[in-house]
Amino acid sequence: MKLVGERLLETSRHVVWRLLNDGEVLQRCIPGCESLSGNLDDGYDARVVLKIGPIKARFTGAVTFSEVRPDEGYRISGKGQGGVAGFASGGALVELHDDGGGTRLVYNAEAQVGGKIAQLGARLIDSTARKLTEAFFTKFAEEVAAYEAHA
Amino acid sequence: MYLYDTTYLRPGSIDEAKALYDAGESPAFLSGGHTLLPAMKGHLARHDRLIDIRRIPELQGIAEDESYLTIGAATRHCDVAAAPVVRNCIPALAGMVGTIGDVQVRHVGTIGGSLANNDPAADYPSAALALDAIFRTDQRTLTAEEYFQGLYTTALEPGELLVSVSFRKPEHAGYAKFRNPASRYALAAAFVAVHADGVRVAITGAGNDGVYRWHEAESALGHKFESESLDPLRADMENMSSDMHANAEYRAELVKFCTQKAVTNQNCITLL
Repeated sequence: MKLVGERLLETSRHVVWRLLNDGEVLQRCIPGCESLSGNLDDGYDARVVLKIGPIKARFTGAVTFSEVRPDEGYRISGKGQGGVAGFASGGALVELHDDGGGTRLVYNAEAQVGGKIAQLGARLIDSTARKLTEAFFTKFAEEVAAYEAHA
Repeated sequence: MYLYDTTYLRPGSIDEAKALYDAGESPAFLSGGHTLLPAMKGHLARHDRLIDIRRIPELQGIAEDESYLTIGAATRHCDVAAAPVVRNCIPALAGMVGTIGDVQVRHVGTIGGSLANNDPAADYPSAALALDAIFRTDQRTLTAEEYFQGLYTTALEPGELLVSVSFRKPEHAGYAKFRNPASRYALAAAFVAVHADGVRVAITGAGNDGVYRWHEAESALGHKFESESLDPLRADMENMSSDMHANAEYRAELVKFCTQKAVTNQNCITLL
């Protein structure tokens, strides 16, 4: 499944890039993220709780970055194991463009889910992935606004 | 696979149910269990206590007053579908409830269980939204707009119990659903209710974020209540869900088709 979208952020590309590489910011933006440790070069270890209706599954996995172009974008990839629930993997190409006085963030994401969670929730995967992606970038826009307010 | 160890409890009152919930480590209310139990059997959910609220007397019963039809949260689908008061008062509601799942589901599942779960393809949320329902919990009263908060999400807090749901009586209403033949979940369904102050159209099964009101259809039908009024409209593609059963384009077509059927078939239901 593919998800494409964009957000207009009221700040410079440089600031967006800094926040996109800030582990604490990422942790606050990833829905259900309990812990995130690491750095841009080596990648992050993440623990994420996914809750869809009655289903609650904890995924542990790794987040890595490639095609890193400072102030312009990167490709973020993640892979998680949820034990009996199954696995999830996905990635997004994130690009930053100047737009007026702000920055247009464009993302092109894909996600795959397998195992039991995919069997039981097949009809929900697209909607859920969309919802989580929206939640991430909405929170990220809030983080940008909060950063600007304190800058 | 078997469930993780859990304790089954059957309280006799709301107070007792709340006390049992508060004393649990990871408790869950059970009010039918057609979603919760499969999730637990698949080890995708773990609860140390299952508190079965279906026998609590305060959650039973169906009553009618001048403006509303009120149904207790633990009332089973088969009882709602068969109740003369529902059939007389809002025939489309009784008809809709008679199409939920299959016979076994209707004899165990409850209105409160369905509405608390808020599955994006469930029938009840569409009726509740189109019939401008009032949700009473053990703590407060909510409108349908306040209650439904997206995919599997409601305003209910952990441990908060749905007590009853009051449907505003329409002048007339209709329901049309296109089912997946295997799961019998709605791929798209429309509940169209005509109230004295306007038309309300609620769509289930198709929206990315669960049940929603189709406002464009409401204003078109408010102008002239006939299925042709919807001819120029198209359901919002941005909001259409897409899965292995039906893509977004197909669902958008189904949404419109079901809405038109529900308009032409008022006081009845159409199963497609």
